Amino acid sequence: MSEQSKTLEIMRRIGAPKPEEIRISGILQSPVLASLTLLLLGGDSDPATAVLEILGGHEINIRFINKYVDSAGNTSLCLCIDADSLDTAISALDVHEESLGIRDFMYHPTVKVISIYPHKQRPRVAERLLTTLRMNGVDPLSTNNASSVVSCVINSEYVEQALACLANAFELP
Amino acid sequence: MGSAETLEIYPLKIQRGLTQLSFLRIPTRPGATRPLFDLLERHGVPVRFLIEGCAGDYNRDLIVCIDSEAFTRLEPELKEVEIRMQTQTLELRQPVAVIRVLGPHFDIRPGTSSLLFGALQRADVTIFSNATTITSSMFVIPDDQVETAERVIGRTFDIPKKKK
Repeated sequence: MSEQSKTLEIMRRIGAPKPEEIRISGILQSPVLASLTLLLLGGDSDPATAVLEILGGHEINIRFINKYVDSAGNTSLCLCIDADSLDTAISALDVHEESLGIRDFMYHPTVKVISIYPHKQRPRVAERLLTTLRMNGVDPLSTNNASSVVSCVINSEYVEQALACLANAFELP
Repeated sequence: MGSAETLEIYPLKIQRGLTQLSFLRIPTRPGATRPLFDLLERHGVPVRFLIEGCAGDYNRDLIVCIDSEAFTRLEPELKEVEIRMQTQTLELRQPVAVIRVLGPHFDIRPGTSSLLFGALQRADVTIFSNATTITSSMFVIPDDQVETAERVIGRTFDIPKKKK
């Protein structure tokens, strides 16, 4: 049994106090998308821009972006694109792998973005979202907030499970 | 996609005087981020910006931006939070600003994101972090580059004046 499964099992056995209810307006889900996660070597210019320019040049829609710089100065970039554009995106990035400084590259062919709204910059909404999903064995691939929502990228096979546990964790109208 | 000169967006929302906290390589387990969010909730500190991503080897990276004034207030408690989260590295950037670009529908217009990123890069605006979802794109940049970024975005998109 993995360390994470052990922790979950113990938490289930000992139970936990009923958490305070958090009222939200709704949970949205995107159409089926594909996700790309790239680790790009740091350099003089922002490597994420070059990736976006290549994908834009191939008319690929980008529905979700998470970009940040890690402690080594490398750029972590997670993108969600239309699922039927995945092959085109992989081929396009493959051609430029060296010039883009792609150090690591992962993809998931079918994902969905699940969004909780409103977020209203409340720390407990993000916390409830992340903890509920992981307590129920769903590991979001990427998470971010926008103007009024907090969104997670979830592998398609876990979407129903994620929606069910989130519906229990939040108070919906 | 060609020129985006005709793309109209909402007035920019800019939040300045923030601190970006990067909790890097947190073990992936339920509740790992709870100590931080509990602390922020207890002190009524809003999360201005949030992203969480995969750091490899079953670790996660969590990046949040909060008001620098709140950061100063919470700093004494952050060491304990860092330990409880089992964070391998905590990095700080300050002062930073978050610029929200709302309206160009990034999801249905190929090339819109690259247009925006490219314009900022050409103007030497450093993008520490970005979170984009459908119609909203939030950039974390150095606070002293806000005016440049505003000018560049204003040239790239059509931003209506705020109604009085």
